[in-house]
Amino acid sequence: MTDHCDDTLGVGLLCEGQHEPGTPPAGLRRAPSGVDGLTTEHLIINMGPQHPSTHGVLRMIIEVDGEEVVAAEVSVGYLHRGIEKLAEHRRYDAVGTLMDRGDYVSGIMGELAFALATEQLMEIEVPRKAHWLRSLTSELNRLASHLVWYGTFGLDTGAMGQFLYAMREREALLDILEAISGQRMMFNYVRPGGVVADLPVGVEEKIRAFLGTFPMYLDEYDQLLGGNEIFQARVKGIGVIDRDMALAFGLTGANLRASGVDFDIRKARPYAAYPELDFDVPLGAKGDAWDRYTVRMGEMAQSARMIGQLIDGMPEGEHTAKVPRIIRPAAGESYASVESSRGETAVHLVSDGTEHPYRMHYRGPSLYAVQALEELLPGHLLGDVVMLIGSTDVMLGEIDR
Amino acid sequence: MWGMGLINGLRISWRNMRRGPITVKYPYEKLTLPERARWAVAPKYFADGSPKCTACMTCVRTCPDHILDIYVTTAEDKTKHIDSFFYEIGACMMCGLCVESCPFDAILMSHDYELAVTDPADLSYDLLTDVDAATGARHKAEKAAAEPAPDTSTAGEVSVGE
Amino acid sequence: MSAIGISALKVLAALGLMLANGVVMIYMLRKVLGHLHIRLGPMHVGWKGTLQTVMDVLKLLTKEDITPRAVDRWLFRIAPAVVFIPSLMAYAALPFSDTWRVTNLDTGLLYTFAVLSLVPMGILMAGWASNNKWSLLGGMRAAAQQIAYEVPLLLSVLPIVMLVGSMNLGVIVEAQRGTVLAVIPRWFIMNPLFWPTFLLYSVSALIETNQTPFDMSEAESEIVAGFATEYSAMKFGLLFLSEFSNQFIVAALTVTLFFGGWTLPWIPEAVSNSFGPVVFMLKTYLVIAVMMWIRGTFPRVRIDQLMQLGWQRLIPISLVWIVFSGIVIKVWS
Repeated sequence: MTDHCDDTLGVGLLCEGQHEPGTPPAGLRRAPSGVDGLTTEHLIINMGPQHPSTHGVLRMIIEVDGEEVVAAEVSVGYLHRGIEKLAEHRRYDAVGTLMDRGDYVSGIMGELAFALATEQLMEIEVPRKAHWLRSLTSELNRLASHLVWYGTFGLDTGAMGQFLYAMREREALLDILEAISGQRMMFNYVRPGGVVADLPVGVEEKIRAFLGTFPMYLDEYDQLLGGNEIFQARVKGIGVIDRDMALAFGLTGANLRASGVDFDIRKARPYAAYPELDFDVPLGAKGDAWDRYTVRMGEMAQSARMIGQLIDGMPEGEHTAKVPRIIRPAAGESYASVESSRGETAVHLVSDGTEHPYRMHYRGPSLYAVQALEELLPGHLLGDVVMLIGSTDVMLGEIDR
Repeated sequence: MWGMGLINGLRISWRNMRRGPITVKYPYEKLTLPERARWAVAPKYFADGSPKCTACMTCVRTCPDHILDIYVTTAEDKTKHIDSFFYEIGACMMCGLCVESCPFDAILMSHDYELAVTDPADLSYDLLTDVDAATGARHKAEKAAAEPAPDTSTAGEVSVGE
Repeated sequence: MSAIGISALKVLAALGLMLANGVVMIYMLRKVLGHLHIRLGPMHVGWKGTLQTVMDVLKLLTKEDITPRAVDRWLFRIAPAVVFIPSLMAYAALPFSDTWRVTNLDTGLLYTFAVLSLVPMGILMAGWASNNKWSLLGGMRAAAQQIAYEVPLLLSVLPIVMLVGSMNLGVIVEAQRGTVLAVIPRWFIMNPLFWPTFLLYSVSALIETNQTPFDMSEAESEIVAGFATEYSAMKFGLLFLSEFSNQFIVAALTVTLFFGGWTLPWIPEAVSNSFGPVVFMLKTYLVIAVMMWIRGTFPRVRIDQLMQLGWQRLIPISLVWIVFSGIVIKVWS
């Protein structure tokens, strides 16, 4: 039996025969520093896959000097389910179920990316009503996802109340999405060609009722957390991602816009109903965690505005184009990206003309944000680690796929 | 002044407390599901109680996770007898693709969500056991007999081509 | 009954009060936090969940007490005791009414603060002995935070001691008897000179007792359960109970120092004295409710910001205020 002890990370794992009993393990890197030759050691802490505040099963190995982070290493892969491989064995109308489970709080947008990629290969005309329904459910989903971010971000700092207030709003949204699609989270609603079904009777009243109170509540929540001086002191000035660093890491979405880069796929490469909608794109200036907070709160307000426009202007017509029961797109490659709540969610699809995709690559924007964490963390305190993870809004489902 | 945000926060949490708890005291109170809610798959029947399923195996082929299976014995006169319509609910993701693809409207996504069991063997069961499958002719006759009135089902069925 | 017998009974009564407080406060916390968070809190066990804490205590008593193999044995075992016993000792000087006291100490205030200062030692022991990096961090934070804030805590209440002329908590309460203009009670909270004192004391007291927004040593979202991660069963119960007990002590001190203790000013003295303990407990629980309200709303402060707050702001302001109030008191009298 081989003595498997793979210490690739060099943290000094305790393995049989490699550790002298009675001596400290090698995991404490001796870093002599301090006044008058006082030797101190850096602690290597494992912020393991099970942790109350990593947004999913994220493992971080952090080297701290007291409370200050000296180095950090991110280890992902604990949620890998083989989505891209499974897609090679599914039919095109069933791949949406896999995309739902990537970024699971923004399922509609993942499905939409795949549907757009397939439609590029199929070369069909999606009816206008389908575009509007896709945008409507996307914006509802974006609101739901940002509410999760808002709730958990405050929870990471220790404030508990606003998490449940956000969940109360999210319940209303999930009820609306359940009425439209049939499920609260794994919607399976957007398919190549259009959407599964039109809006049912009664949903419009629910949406209008929600929009009637939501802007006031959003303002209240912004005062509750953003207006709180303790929160501001914890969030302002930490985790500064300047413009060059954001572009170098390939960040997209709110993380990029907080650094001042005006890039929103809904404006730059519009899809679905976005060319016809009227909305602003909030931008930040410095790129610190506070800017990311204000950008996302602004996005929530804009989403509410868009939902109002979508409901008011919902056209008549078919909710889907005529697609064959078994979709066999033309052989070729396509790439489609959407602005999901975390950034640019994209699908690169290679088809060989059969009923299964030949290769589907799913770009999850949080992967780049989590890589940026390795460079952001040194210099911050241990209490800032959870704040940074929360402010970049990473979602392990789309990192690990 | 520094601190007004804190006082305001206290006021907001007080105000939210006055709005009352949103708890639904399950299992004493239950929410009603919307009509399209997708939970366990269940078979549909004709008025006389015979199942609508014709054992055409479309749903079996459509299911992305291959959790449905129909064991059929074909009699000499080509009529099918369903020995068991196997459904592994433990692996079902309630995507609804089987129901969408069924050409005879023989299964539906029920609203049964209290699916917890204590024995792992109960995580798969038979939807139909030891019944005769319906025939295409039966379906044609039922459709002709039914009023050709406005479609009373919910707006927007999936319109798939042939 | 002999004097020793009476003393023993008083100690047992204090212990009983401590345990009863723990039970009531935990239930109250869960209900208050629940309603602040638009949910219900415990509802099933007993009428509206009132028996929940009793059942939780029974559960803790019957749980398996797991001691991880690599802990520092003796420190691990006695750390909960070192945290619990000072909490119990702090009940000695509290005046529940003019006759209901465990002891009548002339240095009551100083004694209470001195005894509470032993608690962070126990927390540090618990953090170190757990042989767990997260617990170590929690313990170190407690040491830095709570030991550092004993200074502002004591400095902040010195103006009151100067005005009253004694550290005896009973005398401080007696000095707040009566009313001004027959309407406004003479409580020290009504005295504008003591408003900064109240602020300084509240902040220091919240920090001393590890309450949000200053509960870094057990910051659940950062370091899991902090110093108490490795503890189970009754050892955890003791740590938990002593945290609530400290909260009660600090709230009781707030009531004693600022809100008139057991006195109710608008009622004739003879009547209000007999109600003393009830009034005292009610006032204390009101203060505790406000502390829980703050707990359910505010985020946590970062440890370096906290230390900065203490050393750079609270202590200088306390010192300046002592000088200023000393001058005012001398001029006024």
